[in-house]
Amino acid sequence: MFGKFSRRDLLSGLASFAALGTLGTMAGVSRQAKAASGDRKFLFFFASGGWDATPLDPKFAEDGVSPVMGTDMDPDTVLGVRGNLTWSSGVDRRGMDAFFERWGGYSHLVRGVNVHSAGHESGMQWMMTGSSASSIPDWPTILASHGSIDYPMPHLVFSGPAYPGNLGSAVVRGGGGSLLQLIDGSINGRVDRPQEVLPTPMDSMTDALVYERAARFAATKTGFAQQRAGDLLSNLERAMELEGRRFEAGLDRNGGSMLDQALMAIEVMRLGLSRCAMINIPGGWDTHGGNQNVGRQLHEFFLDLDAILDVLEVTPGTTSARLLDEVTIVCTSELGRTPKFNGSGGRDHWPYTSMLLVGSGIRGNRVSGSTDESFVSMPTNLDTGLEEEGGETIGTEHVGTALLQLGEVDPEQFLPGVPALRSVLRNGA
Amino acid sequence: MRTWLLMFAWGCVEPLEADEGWTLLEPREQLIRLSVDLRGVHPSESDLQLVDENPALYTDFVERYLQDPRFPDQITDRFHVQYLTRTGDLAVDADVEAFGLEEDEVAASLAEEPLALIRQIVAEDLPYEQVVLADYTMADPITAWMWGIERPVVEDDTGEFLPSHYVDGREHAGVLTMTTLWTRYPSAGVNGNRHRANAVSRILLCDDYLARPVSFARTQIDALTSGDPEDVIRETPTCQSCHSSLDPLAAHFYGFWWEVDGDFREQTTYRPEDEPLWRDHADKPPGYFGRPTQGIRELADQIAEDQRLRQCAVKTVFEGLTQRTTSDEDWAELAPHRAAFESGVIRDLVRSIVLSEGYRAGADEHDRVTLKMVSPATLESIVYQKTGYRWTMDGRKALSANVNGLAVLGGGIDARFVTHPSHDPSVGMVLIQERLAQAAAQAVAAHDLDPEREGEAVLLALVNLDMTPESHPAEFAQQINALYLEITGIPLPEGDPQPEALVDLWKRAYSVEGSKEMAWSAVISVVLRDPRLLFY
Repeated sequence: MFGKFSRRDLLSGLASFAALGTLGTMAGVSRQAKAASGDRKFLFFFASGGWDATPLDPKFAEDGVSPVMGTDMDPDTVLGVRGNLTWSSGVDRRGMDAFFERWGGYSHLVRGVNVHSAGHESGMQWMMTGSSASSIPDWPTILASHGSIDYPMPHLVFSGPAYPGNLGSAVVRGGGGSLLQLIDGSINGRVDRPQEVLPTPMDSMTDALVYERAARFAATKTGFAQQRAGDLLSNLERAMELEGRRFEAGLDRNGGSMLDQALMAIEVMRLGLSRCAMINIPGGWDTHGGNQNVGRQLHEFFLDLDAILDVLEVTPGTTSARLLDEVTIVCTSELGRTPKFNGSGGRDHWPYTSMLLVGSGIRGNRVSGSTDESFVSMPTNLDTGLEEEGGETIGTEHVGTALLQLGEVDPEQFLPGVPALRSVLRNGA
Repeated sequence: MRTWLLMFAWGCVEPLEADEGWTLLEPREQLIRLSVDLRGVHPSESDLQLVDENPALYTDFVERYLQDPRFPDQITDRFHVQYLTRTGDLAVDADVEAFGLEEDEVAASLAEEPLALIRQIVAEDLPYEQVVLADYTMADPITAWMWGIERPVVEDDTGEFLPSHYVDGREHAGVLTMTTLWTRYPSAGVNGNRHRANAVSRILLCDDYLARPVSFARTQIDALTSGDPEDVIRETPTCQSCHSSLDPLAAHFYGFWWEVDGDFREQTTYRPEDEPLWRDHADKPPGYFGRPTQGIRELADQIAEDQRLRQCAVKTVFEGLTQRTTSDEDWAELAPHRAAFESGVIRDLVRSIVLSEGYRAGADEHDRVTLKMVSPATLESIVYQKTGYRWTMDGRKALSANVNGLAVLGGGIDARFVTHPSHDPSVGMVLIQERLAQAAAQAVAAHDLDPEREGEAVLLALVNLDMTPESHPAEFAQQINALYLEITGIPLPEGDPQPEALVDLWKRAYSVEGSKEMAWSAVISVVLRDPRLLFY
């Protein structure tokens, strides 16, 4: 009997239970997952340390070789061009050339993004939330919390920053490789006093009772307490869903590299387990002491990004032929770096940075925003992305609200009155 | 007070009166909340019965728990969200393995240097200003060895942190002169110790310069890139809005400097002769918000006199105990706690908070936090209290020590990349509770049902391996009711369907596994996953 017991059956049964009581009126409780979702998914890559923004916003004279006054370009770099896109090309960063050659049509560069800070921690918060208030969730958390279905792992943070704000129940921090062991129960075989992993039937039986107990508990609460107890119920459902899907998700191929993490993120998105994921871009980006490794790090990152897009292209989507048409990639960092080298040949912190957006819903082969030769953001028309007198200085908040629009989330709930950088949106949504 | 009146005048906020709109928890629930916050574990059943019979005894328990030996650690943990030193990766350049130590063991000790002072201030009811006025540091043997601290020789040394002294010529000024803090918050040479100055402001005054929006005019940026940035900072009003106070603060920390010829150990070395180096960098003499100072000790005096020091402590402790983020709207609610803290004694501050209606509330008309979630480390502690089972890996507490990122998965912090705890029950926390409950349940069932341990039962005192639900239905029902009472602290109400459901679970599990031990293990694991263990 128990061998055929499915967690989906369990959830269905429990939904009936919930509907009988006051729980039926609680938002977010016992939501039934739809078979498929057309939600756009978001894959974030974050260069912790504050990356050099000049490679994606190069300052070369018309000859494409000489740096313009005011900005030091890395030695031995020249202007790379593909359509409307430009970057700094060089032998140490051939991966960038290859990427833009192949995927330039899907790529949008955003330049002169004001992060409102020259400090790592605050810049990170501004970049990811458009605010300095710690209570505000970051973009992926908001997007993950507002999907059309209840994802088991709404926002999966493999590495990199996480600002859950008041939506922490949507964030799963998968770092350290323990998540899979928690999902399949094998963690209890690895502790100092190892215990048996419970057989699935017993695991399922206990889950049912725990859920029922939590539902009764939630029903006794009101207001905030009911909402938090409801979050527990939602996450019990998510946990049961994950345990039932453990062998499908491919999480046991757990590796630590950025590419490994990205492939896992793609897999969980394909399976409808997550809407958003955050992955740290490896490398030392805080280059006060010398900029010499930046080219190599960019080369490796763009090679991986190239491979990731290859996978997205051949992976079937939920509602479209390719997952590439359902996943938006956001590559960013918490800071830019000074346009001039310091005495160590490095670059110090700078409040303007560059971002790269790729994939679903993104207007490709375009650039939004600009900086002058001193690497200061120029006023920009947010609808066209072009420099315009009297326009706005593009800030993290404008990019963020555009991402929320792309994810069909009303930005007014989070950053009222902040216009979106609509120029990055393919349909100007 | 003036700030408060101004806010009314501007109409910026619509503050709530203190104690407005709250509905209190039941007495048992109040005592559980109190005990978890002040001791990290649940109260005993005898304590719960006492407060059940006479709810007025809550105030007596406040006094008792405030004196509990676990109390200082609980409060110190609240301050850690400011200090963020428990990163597990503080720079360790010495060959620690040659001394039979592990690197994480060394990092864990170093992290505690400032927190040990907080712990001492709390435990000994010292004035909170001691955090900057202490004319000593705190050291255990590892910290003393690593940082070159002279630690007193004591009989029967247990290795605890003791008041100790640096012998490199530095003046002592509490946390301001602790090598651990400046190793955690280094400052690049070109940045002239400003990172450290901001750390002081953020940690001690709750004023983070980096949280202020920065808006640069084009002319300023042009000037920054074409000339000496320090000149531009000096001459530009926008820059001066922060730097006029930040740079004089930074000027105190040149005794700790940056790397020299690529040797980053220099950061951990204090050189009194380097104190005047501010003249060669930002060229702003030491001062504290407009008042000149002569060295770090005078800085400590100025900070100690600044009312923001205590206000920041009130905010830190209040937010830690209520799991709320405060804003101007909470000014009125915090006012009595600020008044209680006029003694400067943390215990007085905590007493004021835990006696307030807001702290004891289970519902609120204004949707403030009324259901808190335990931290992963507290869950670990409570499960150990209930079952005697400790979830450890390689000898380290899995959740307290963030082994393999488990604590972060459950909403904890790693103090480096994740610096704000999450109090929402994520799927990570649900899975952690599930697996911890299963492991603990198996361990306790094996222990309690072992015929050779008769009379030693931790949880299953009313049943044995000879009993079945059919042969001893009354004992089964009593045992399950007792499990709920022992584990959650709240008795199941009359007629609750849970005992019957768990007896059914026992039967089904037994039919699948053929083991009474595993059947009881399944039952216990369900009770250990009760929401009342997660929420309080």
